[in-house]
Amino acid sequence: MSLELQLVLLAWGTLVGLDLISVPQMMIARPIVAGPVAGAILGDVATGLALGVVFELFQYDILPVGAARYPEYGPATVAAVSAAQAGAGTFGLGFGVLVGLTTGLLGGVSLHLVHRLNARAVDASAAALEAGDPRVLLRLHVAGIVRDAARAALVTGVGLVLAQLTRLFLAGAYTLRGVAGLAVAGVAGALAVGTAGTLRRVGRGPGLRWFVAGLAGGSVVAWLS
Amino acid sequence: MTIALYRIDDRLIHGQVVVGWGQPLNLGFVVLVDDAVRDSPWEQDLYRMGVPPHIEVVFASVAEAARGLPQWEADSRTGILLAGDIATLAALGANSHQIKRINVGGIHHRTGRRERLRYVYLTDAEAAQLRELAARGIEITAQDVPTARPVPVAEFT
Amino acid sequence: MAFVTPALGQSLLRLFTVQGSWNYERMQGIGVGVAEEPLLRPLVRNGDQTAYRAAVARGAHFFNAHPYLCGLVVGAAARAEHERAAPEQVERLRAALCGPLGSLGDRLVWTGWLPCTTALAIAGVALGLGLPAVGAFLVVYNLGHVALRWWALRAGWAYGLRVGSALHQPLLQRAAAWSGPAMALAVGLALPLAARYLAAPFPTGARAVLAGLAATGTALLVWRRGQLDGLRFGLLLLVAALVVGQAWR
Repeated sequence: MSLELQLVLLAWGTLVGLDLISVPQMMIARPIVAGPVAGAILGDVATGLALGVVFELFQYDILPVGAARYPEYGPATVAAVSAAQAGAGTFGLGFGVLVGLTTGLLGGVSLHLVHRLNARAVDASAAALEAGDPRVLLRLHVAGIVRDAARAALVTGVGLVLAQLTRLFLAGAYTLRGVAGLAVAGVAGALAVGTAGTLRRVGRGPGLRWFVAGLAGGSVVAWLS
Repeated sequence: MTIALYRIDDRLIHGQVVVGWGQPLNLGFVVLVDDAVRDSPWEQDLYRMGVPPHIEVVFASVAEAARGLPQWEADSRTGILLAGDIATLAALGANSHQIKRINVGGIHHRTGRRERLRYVYLTDAEAAQLRELAARGIEITAQDVPTARPVPVAEFT
Repeated sequence: MAFVTPALGQSLLRLFTVQGSWNYERMQGIGVGVAEEPLLRPLVRNGDQTAYRAAVARGAHFFNAHPYLCGLVVGAAARAEHERAAPEQVERLRAALCGPLGSLGDRLVWTGWLPCTTALAIAGVALGLGLPAVGAFLVVYNLGHVALRWWALRAGWAYGLRVGSALHQPLLQRAAAWSGPAMALAVGLALPLAARYLAAPFPTGARAVLAGLAATGTALLVWRRGQLDGLRFGLLLLVAALVVGQAWR
């Protein structure tokens, strides 16, 4: 994979990471967007779409409320698509999920750190803030955005390095059967997490009936098409 | 069922409560204990807005809550009792012996408060008050959402 | 609501960055203050910044709600400051908006509109529509997103302290009531399609293993909820697969 391509992926992952919380929250941070675009950059839209679906399912586990901590799957999906280039076709998927989940974990930790650094900066400027100084206010805000951009770039960068290492060292150590097994585990994990996460969100109230109705409808469409 | 959660949360009704706890508990009612909100129709209107129609919201003063507790505990639905600060639940706990467990869900930064957990900021007096409640035999843990680990009171005061 | 002023436009643009300085201490406070500031500039009278600065300081205090609905508090607090409401009244307004706006936004967007539209995107991709399904998701989702941000700011600015009545908007109430069922239906629809799409490349035997693992995993996650999150479960499964793959060559 050329350096130019890696840099374009890095730029895309940074935008994706910035979108999640900071600017502008238009949901390019969702795996279903981040993955296919990364795939298009690498000329492999199919893998991008598949990993987009896989991590979108993992995403259903997460509810971003309040100060709760959660993993970050945007830059992770970008790194996953890169890692999946290790195996031909669908069988690279497992390596993608492995790198993606690891990067997602890192992303979550990095968000926590940035929110902590932001708090420290706010604390240090408490007097000026209480005096209503608009310049200090704006400066703090912009510094927060810059921190998040740097964070997003760093997480994507680490993810891409993990992907590169996986392609170079891990992929070769597995037989075709092992690679397929990894892909099966990744897909099964995503389906389980997506289903359980949705069940939790739907609750036991009236939503459950709608969910079951949807499952039935989806199964029929899947059968017919 | 009963009151599943006695929660201290300065944002009172918000996403963590309605969605985070509400869905898995199959929440039927919320008791919001706050003397100021009890007497403020426009604030009640706002809080009701944050809750889906199938969940009942009861607004109570501390005195009313102390009288209402046995009835809510016997309710067939699952409920959450919410208070905005430690003092409110402490007052309620002093008036009745029903409260066995307290969930610290969110107490945020204000001048004089120090960070204890990322969603719990306390003054030293507030921390002492929590320890005192715990010494009276009430099990106190901090936990913002059901998927988080409950942190025992000794770890954050 | 005929007043679309440059200040309102600037405030809206800043609202798209409202969580840029999110932190554990004031949460969205700084971002909300930054977005409110353009609306507060007329409070400077004959070079006297006292009222303006006091309002800016209040605007940046602790706040947290759904990011798309922050415009309501930005508009309403700014309007209240223009009407010279007492500082305690503005603080009470902000405090009372926090929770309800958060809860409403979570139901409308985080557990409604967003998973509903991404589920339809998944279904589209699974049915072979490819990139156009992803593009359609971005367009449709963001129509709702931008409309909500814009409505929130304008409603807040129009209603001020009476912002509660803006929330009685029937469309909003209906959307909040339907967002949950619509999400449940859409994700329900998408899951079997996603399963078929992702399992398609595998041979029959592998597909059986996949189905068994997915079913067992779902049961495990539902049973152990709160103790096992999705990410760790996924990683555990993959590490197990790596070990098995090495042992059984």
